[in-house]
Amino acid sequence: MNRSTRCRLAVLWAVLLSTACSQNPPPQAATPADSAALRARADSIARAERARADSLAAARRDSIARADAPMERSRADSVRAQIQENGGSAPPATASGLDAAAEAVLFETVLFDYDRADVRPDQAAKLAAKLAILRANPRLEVRIEGHCDERGPDEYNLALGNRRAAAVKRWFVEHGIPESRLTIVSYGEERPADPASTEDAFARNRRAEFRVTRAAR
Amino acid sequence: MRVGSREPGVGNRPRAPAVAALGALVLTALAGTARGQDTTAHSGVRIGITYAPGTRPSLAVMRTTSAAGLDSVRAILERDLDHSDRFEVLWRPSAGDVVDSAAIARVVRGGAAQVLTLVGDSGGVARVTVMDVRSGQSLHRARIPLADVTGRAFRLRVHALADDIVREVVGQAGAAASALLYVQGGRLWQVDADGHGVRALPAAGSPALSPAWAPDGRRIAYTAFVRSGQPIVVQDLVSGARTVVPTTEYGLNITPSFAPDGRRLAFAHGTEAGTDIYVWEGGTGVSRLTVGRFADNLSPAWSPDGARIAFVSTRARSPQLYVMNADGTDQEVLARFDFGATGTTSSPAWSPDGALVAFHREVGGVPQVFVLDVAGRGVRQVTGAGRNEDPTWAPDGRHLAFVSTRDGRRDLWVADLETGRLRRLTSVGGARLPAWSPRFTLTAERE
Repeated sequence: MNRSTRCRLAVLWAVLLSTACSQNPPPQAATPADSAALRARADSIARAERARADSLAAARRDSIARADAPMERSRADSVRAQIQENGGSAPPATASGLDAAAEAVLFETVLFDYDRADVRPDQAAKLAAKLAILRANPRLEVRIEGHCDERGPDEYNLALGNRRAAAVKRWFVEHGIPESRLTIVSYGEERPADPASTEDAFARNRRAEFRVTRAAR
Repeated sequence: MRVGSREPGVGNRPRAPAVAALGALVLTALAGTARGQDTTAHSGVRIGITYAPGTRPSLAVMRTTSAAGLDSVRAILERDLDHSDRFEVLWRPSAGDVVDSAAIARVVRGGAAQVLTLVGDSGGVARVTVMDVRSGQSLHRARIPLADVTGRAFRLRVHALADDIVREVVGQAGAAASALLYVQGGRLWQVDADGHGVRALPAAGSPALSPAWAPDGRRIAYTAFVRSGQPIVVQDLVSGARTVVPTTEYGLNITPSFAPDGRRLAFAHGTEAGTDIYVWEGGTGVSRLTVGRFADNLSPAWSPDGARIAFVSTRARSPQLYVMNADGTDQEVLARFDFGATGTTSSPAWSPDGALVAFHREVGGVPQVFVLDVAGRGVRQVTGAGRNEDPTWAPDGRHLAFVSTRDGRRDLWVADLETGRLRRLTSVGGARLPAWSPRFTLTAERE
């Protein structure tokens, strides 16, 4: 009997034993090999349960920590103040501090395929050009806006636009730009670049746009 | 509940001559059952007409005196009772006229109407009497002060009376005393269930999206696009007070949904790692229900017992319908789909009795409204003409409002799932994301 067959038998025995446990009084003490298998099985279950509990707890801490972070508290206060107004929405524009040529490169929109959020190979060159500007201007901070065409559920499109903006941000972060310089926002299908209901308009509307939130100088 | 899988076409309901014929037919068919039969409904309410699907009692609403404002009462009642789809309402060319006792006697003798609603007045008060014609028994009596007859409170009182009449006659209340929220032009609007009283609501941001009612019919929640975020705002419609749901000051925050207890609120929160469903437990307590990891989980819809939440997830790539316990456990597919073949599925809404979930699903790239039987998981298509999206249940559990382009523009329509009858609710163009309120609790004074 080789080692793996022995292992399998031990596991089988452990399963039979545990089934028996649920129906009968506690059985005789198991042999050392059996109890090791039982322990290993119990350990792996406990580990899995711990991991799940940890990930849930971490998720909860994550959501609550954001509200508690002192540096974010002023922003929370600001949002609470803003909702007392009626209908104000357009974020203020910040002067970029870039020359016109660099601005044109930075503000060029990046396009996406239908219902996709991954960066298209034919759009990567646009991101590379923006990357050079971000590297050359370390003070510059940018907001990435994700947009969708009008097809698909309105609310789902907000989530999709968020994934598009996040994909662009991830691309920059993977290329060495600090996360703190990039924020994301999704407008779903709420702010089309072209209001027409044509394939051309849809293609133009599936996009990421770029806004300066902190000037280069 | 019978759910038609055919398209509920506009105007497929028999009108005047057909109704008269049908009325006579129904009368014959129901001769044994409708006449003064006493039935006790679940709430202990004694009712006089047996209601059976497909055979609706015929009903006339007549005005017996001419006081100012009385015809408003008569017209609102007649429309509400018609919209309940529980009756064959007899439309008369002289509907606004005052009828005398001889005319009433003719209706009674001729057997044209099984239920007669008489609207009269005494001293500035409308007096409404509902009669079972065959037995001569009075089913309901109510009085409504004839003051400010164009005001909202007055209209609401008449709507509530119509709901009472439906309950007294067929055992289940109507849905007239309710309203819908919707989005148009980035703003929030409210419209009464009969299509009247369209008004803009002040909102905290623009656009304001995904309005949802609290069970108290007084608070609403929605996503507000403000300068520095997209928080979920809870707004009191009476006091105007607004609060931000904790943790929604950051990131994307969409699709709020109040639990039936009115205290908890589920919503979707999007970060760079995807969008997930959270529940605000009141105070500062927010817990997370889904862990999507670059997938989207959104549009939570509570079961009426508060135990389950239907939602949309992209965990299998295309958005589809799932369901979980209210604590996030036992997540499973709700509406079966063929991987890679079934169209985008979205916007679940749980029926008030818990038996059905309405949603929309793309068929050949065009969204259509479906209804799913929660117990058997069977799915039936409700619409077929134009694009039809975002269904929301009436509080009577048999009517659905949804967005439809069947008439060219995006407007709200109401379908009766039992008869397939369809009516247009708004004519504004660009209306979307409707949410039907619970029944407002404002009752007419009963005599």
